[in-house]
Amino acid sequence: MTPKDYLYEMIRSELTWAVGDDNVQTNDADTLGHSLDYYWVPECWHDRGERLTPPDFVVHPSTAKEVSEVLKIANTHNIPVTPWGGGSGSQGGALPIYGGIILDMKRMNKVLAIDPVSMTVTVEVGINTQHLEWAVEKAGYSTMHFPASIACATLGGFIAHRGTGVLSTKYGKIEDMIMSLEVVTPTGEIINTLPVPRHASGPSLTELYLGSEGTLGVVTRATMKIHPIPESRKFHAFLFKTMHDAMIAGSKIMTSRLRPCVIRLYDETETAKLVKRVLDIDKEGVYLVFGFDGPEKMVDLQLENACAICAKTASEDLGTEAGQNWWKNRYKFFYPPYMFHMPQAFGTLDTVATFSNIEKVYWAMKNTVNQNFPQATFIGHFSHWYDWGCMLYARFIIDEPPEDPREAIALYNKIWDMAIRAAIKEGGVINEHHGVGLKLGRIMRDLYGPAFTILESIKKTLDPNNIMNPGKLGFPGKGA
Amino acid sequence: MHIDTFKDTINACRFCFMCRHLDPVGNVTFRESDTPRGRALICDRIRMNAANLQNPDYIDTLYRSALSAANRTHCVSHYDETGLCLAMRRDVVAAGLASETVKALAKTLETEVFTVKGKGKILYYGGHPELYSDCKTISGKDPGKALEVLGFSAASKKVFARFKKAVAASQCQTLIVAEPSAYDFLKDKLAGIKVVHVAEHLLAANPKAAKTRKAYYLESDFLRNYDSNPSAPRDLLKALGYALLPFGTNDEESYAVGEGAVVFDALNPKLCAKLCARVYGLAHDSKKPLFITASLYVRDTLRKYNPAFNVITIEEAAAQSAS
Repeated sequence: MTPKDYLYEMIRSELTWAVGDDNVQTNDADTLGHSLDYYWVPECWHDRGERLTPPDFVVHPSTAKEVSEVLKIANTHNIPVTPWGGGSGSQGGALPIYGGIILDMKRMNKVLAIDPVSMTVTVEVGINTQHLEWAVEKAGYSTMHFPASIACATLGGFIAHRGTGVLSTKYGKIEDMIMSLEVVTPTGEIINTLPVPRHASGPSLTELYLGSEGTLGVVTRATMKIHPIPESRKFHAFLFKTMHDAMIAGSKIMTSRLRPCVIRLYDETETAKLVKRVLDIDKEGVYLVFGFDGPEKMVDLQLENACAICAKTASEDLGTEAGQNWWKNRYKFFYPPYMFHMPQAFGTLDTVATFSNIEKVYWAMKNTVNQNFPQATFIGHFSHWYDWGCMLYARFIIDEPPEDPREAIALYNKIWDMAIRAAIKEGGVINEHHGVGLKLGRIMRDLYGPAFTILESIKKTLDPNNIMNPGKLGFPGKGA
Repeated sequence: MHIDTFKDTINACRFCFMCRHLDPVGNVTFRESDTPRGRALICDRIRMNAANLQNPDYIDTLYRSALSAANRTHCVSHYDETGLCLAMRRDVVAAGLASETVKALAKTLETEVFTVKGKGKILYYGGHPELYSDCKTISGKDPGKALEVLGFSAASKKVFARFKKAVAASQCQTLIVAEPSAYDFLKDKLAGIKVVHVAEHLLAANPKAAKTRKAYYLESDFLRNYDSNPSAPRDLLKALGYALLPFGTNDEESYAVGEGAVVFDALNPKLCAKLCARVYGLAHDSKKPLFITASLYVRDTLRKYNPAFNVITIEEAAAQSAS
């Protein structure tokens, strides 16, 4: 036995003492499953037969106290801890790049209370979000959080990277839904943020943890808003000749302060490729769909107003059915074989900007990709609309990337570097709801400028041994 | 290897998370390996390097699957991850790598004997022969499905040949099958005899409704996810006077405690107890609820880990209504 072996067994024994024998795994099957998330780079690495970095221990805590015990053990031995929810993040945020402990939170999955008076649910954040939605629906409500990853991700994962769902235009992103959090700090203290999100009692600690990606502690419990099931939800779709016309129509819907629950605008290429394939709408142009929900009279009135805005410049009114069909198939885009897949290289250049800037951001990224990477196809749609702007869900796809994984990954990173920096230059912010993780850490300094040192100071203060998800969110790695 | 014929499934499932919320085992162990993605990743590693088939962790994981096929039903493209698991089990057995537990279990199934008794033109195969006095009955626990599911194809065929011979000797024109796993196994395998599920048979007899009673119907993995979800079981229960209540929070999850893996409880009793605990937990808000299942396996397993759990089979429900 080497000193490393002795230490390994000591740590394993401590961890099993903290969470129970059945809740610490070290076997090959479990560590394989935790060695890659939904980030393209590890998928490519696996696809090409390369060995991924596995965690040393997969630990499943069941209480905040157990999380605290695990973090204290990690601090004692100075080993990295990577929180893991559903593992479906696309940014490498859950990758155990330094081995160590994967803190798999899925065992913390209880719905603790539904408050029908305040319309909130309090829940352990390891719960799968589809399970949460089902439980809330059974009580007669809805979270109104319907991301494409609803079946895969945990609530904690959404909190960690500021996730969003398809109805965000009305119901908000996860940061708009969360009331308060219970958090275990990196040194093992269990804290609660203030019980309501609107107050004048200093800066918001809830906000500090929203989007912190497991670098500042482990969120263990949340209270979030719930909503009544709407009486009616209706959709409508239009076809436009140009993306500009469609963007003007979409922005007018928002700036006239109608309250759609969703607007989606697919550019020409995505309309021709994905909308055709998934929705079987074989049309040239730009597909725009929107929906409203709530009391039927209000829905009808708003729908009428939105249709009137679009009818002025649209080339074709595709009607209600084409809109309803989109809603029915909204997740289909993300199932195989409709989703992009190996050996393709693909990335989502997820960016958010004001209406003044969003088209400039789109063209800056599109031109950058098209001019510098002729082997790549650029497609995009605009989703998650606000009073002031919207999110661009742009993607690049390379059907035949280099066979050598190192070359493929270098090309992939180069596209990201150039496209994202072009977007930032035009007022875009990376990103809207996928998070930063490992993938975009290197961009954080460009994005934040001198303000990034404030984030670094917070990280150093809260996590003096840098055990929490090192190397993510632009923070230093374990060896730094 | 058998898994090579599932290359499309491996490629589709290895990086896909879209059905992970429906894996009954993953929902109680919370382990990434107990999801279609986790298992497809394992199969991919084996596909890349056959030596990985020898990894006992990988083998153990594939034999932990409940094979409910809820995931396959949910998938918009219906990728057959269940078939992939079964293929890998066949590869494990063919390579002589099955665990001692699996081998011992298989041995107990290989000696199955089938005997036909009674009189009638219809042959009944199930756990309640006392309810079919006008039928011939065929005894024997499993016609080869369990061995097939464990990966022992050749042994399964031998057992099935004995079953087929006994059926042929009966000279019956119709075979009523009660256990959904056996129904799934037999429905397309026997030439010259009509195979029907017991619910179809009982429904065709136009049963009279008794006083209305509330009950939860626990969907069968096989009937729902393997056999196109026939309406006969639910129609029968409604005809018998049962008002069926929705169980759990959704109609996609499997609450069949390992029925899809046929001998799941014998193979993974600790895990099976957890699957049962999930069902008991979801039932806690009902006062003395009655549960009805198409499967004797499901009934016996749910009773085993909680003798007070009030669960009966469809046939017992029909018999109670008649009495």
